[in-house]
Amino acid sequence: MPTILAEKTEVYEKKGKNKKEFQNSKTILKIKDLYKSYNIKTPVLSMIEMELKQGEFVSIIGPSGAGKSTLLRCINRMIEPSEGSIVFDETEITSLSKKALRGERAKIGMVFQHYNLVSRLTVFENVLHGRFGYKSTLKGILSIFTEEEKQLALEILDKLGMKEFAYKRCDQLSGGQKQRVGIARALVQQPKLLLCDEPIASLDPNSSKVIMDHLKEICETMGITVLVNLHQVDVAVKYSDRIIGLNKGRVVFEGLPKELSNYAIQDIYGSELEDLIVE
Amino acid sequence: MQISEIASSTTSSIKVRNGKIQIKTFNRSNFVLQLTLAFLIIFTVVAPFFLDYKSIDLQTAIFYTVDNLKMMFLQPALNQITIGTALIQILITLALAFLSTVIGAVISFFLAIACAKNLAPTWLSNTIITFNSFIRAVPTVLWVLIFAIVAGLGSVAAILGMTLHTIAYLSKAYSESFEEIDGGMIEALRATGAKWWHIIVHVVLPQTSSYMISWTFLRFETNYGVAIAMGAAAAAGGIGFELFMSSSFYYDLHEVGAITYFALIIALILEVISVQIKNRLIGSR
Repeated sequence: MPTILAEKTEVYEKKGKNKKEFQNSKTILKIKDLYKSYNIKTPVLSMIEMELKQGEFVSIIGPSGAGKSTLLRCINRMIEPSEGSIVFDETEITSLSKKALRGERAKIGMVFQHYNLVSRLTVFENVLHGRFGYKSTLKGILSIFTEEEKQLALEILDKLGMKEFAYKRCDQLSGGQKQRVGIARALVQQPKLLLCDEPIASLDPNSSKVIMDHLKEICETMGITVLVNLHQVDVAVKYSDRIIGLNKGRVVFEGLPKELSNYAIQDIYGSELEDLIVE
Repeated sequence: MQISEIASSTTSSIKVRNGKIQIKTFNRSNFVLQLTLAFLIIFTVVAPFFLDYKSIDLQTAIFYTVDNLKMMFLQPALNQITIGTALIQILITLALAFLSTVIGAVISFFLAIACAKNLAPTWLSNTIITFNSFIRAVPTVLWVLIFAIVAGLGSVAAILGMTLHTIAYLSKAYSESFEEIDGGMIEALRATGAKWWHIIVHVVLPQTSSYMISWTFLRFETNYGVAIAMGAAAAAGGIGFELFMSSSFYYDLHEVGAITYFALIIALILEVISVQIKNRLIGSR
């Protein structure tokens, strides 16, 4: 059994004991009637509605091509949504100008499946890239970072256990280490929301657990809302405060992990449970 | 199992000829290619027998050619110029190549950014690519002669023409290496709110610098060769001009040989340096 599943039952119990309430927390992200299509016939996303509270850990699950990645990228407008409204931190994202959008993007961290680090540069440099959103063109080009920023980057690297690799080139790291650098780059932005696009899809079970634990810890200790695209239902159940199921661009499930019944999983993946590798 | 059985069991897809299973099927483009090659070979072999040599006696012609080559390469000597002059002239040629490469490389970098499909809008990149391929289609010598109309024959025209061709060549090479960059890196930086110039300097530049350096050096070597030709063809000075003088003006084949050796040695040195640079860059990858 992969390590990631080992403590499953224990986590269930823990959840039961100190169940978190997000009803009174501040709303970080509110998506309403989001619609995205590349051609009129088949919308990639339609009628997406969701609300994320501060400090919440939400997973989006669904089959390949359900629109998970598109949804995530619509939030920071890496992909332009066709219709609908996205309110992040009391700012309407969809109508922002390019310059204002950059300002908002700086407050949204993003973690990718393939880490997307600049492989020829060191870990430290890559992490500091997260500060560009707050920099003028010239200061960014000349890599002028303040001591506080460097301090922040090192603290975050330390927290993720990567401080000793600070001067190592990124192409010499393993997948799990690269992903931790990816997370560090996102955290250095001091984001209010962390978007993770299948952060563990290219990792082995052990590194997957490390990464998910870090994400969970970030969510709990730093109060950053985390929105994760996941392929693994069991991981979603284990770590999430709330799960959103996506199928063919529509939200077909939304609820607590314990509410995710086999029937709901069938609904999300559109096939009999016996045909799926759920665990 | 019998061959016929295999063929019949898989009914249509497997071809059998003369009781043997065919590995390849008839392919029209392959057939045309083979036909063309066959014609070319036949013509190459047959053509010399039908050439009209006029009054030239082939035997004596070959004899004199060999004699001239012997004079050039086995008895090289400097008669009109000293070694010092030759070295200075080679430096001038190198300077021509260096100047046109450096100016070209700087302009090419910016042009390549506007030309790479993943960094620039399609219409802009297509426009630049079209212009570039037009410039590259015209030989460097012709560009130099075109610039000679305004600048007069000499080093200015040579540098202008060589720079133009260098720009067209390097911006294609650079932009293609830019396009090789993993789109995810650019996406990641855009997602942090980084500005476009940040992405250029901190993603594109570090990821492609080794390719750019090796392309630039390759072009420098080419430009060195072109600069020699320009010295002769466009009076741009340098060793090429001396070569022109000794061959056409003094008809001193010994000196032609000596100058050729000089140019060759420098070319070899450049080659060695270029290999060194490439190895070092690849080693640090």
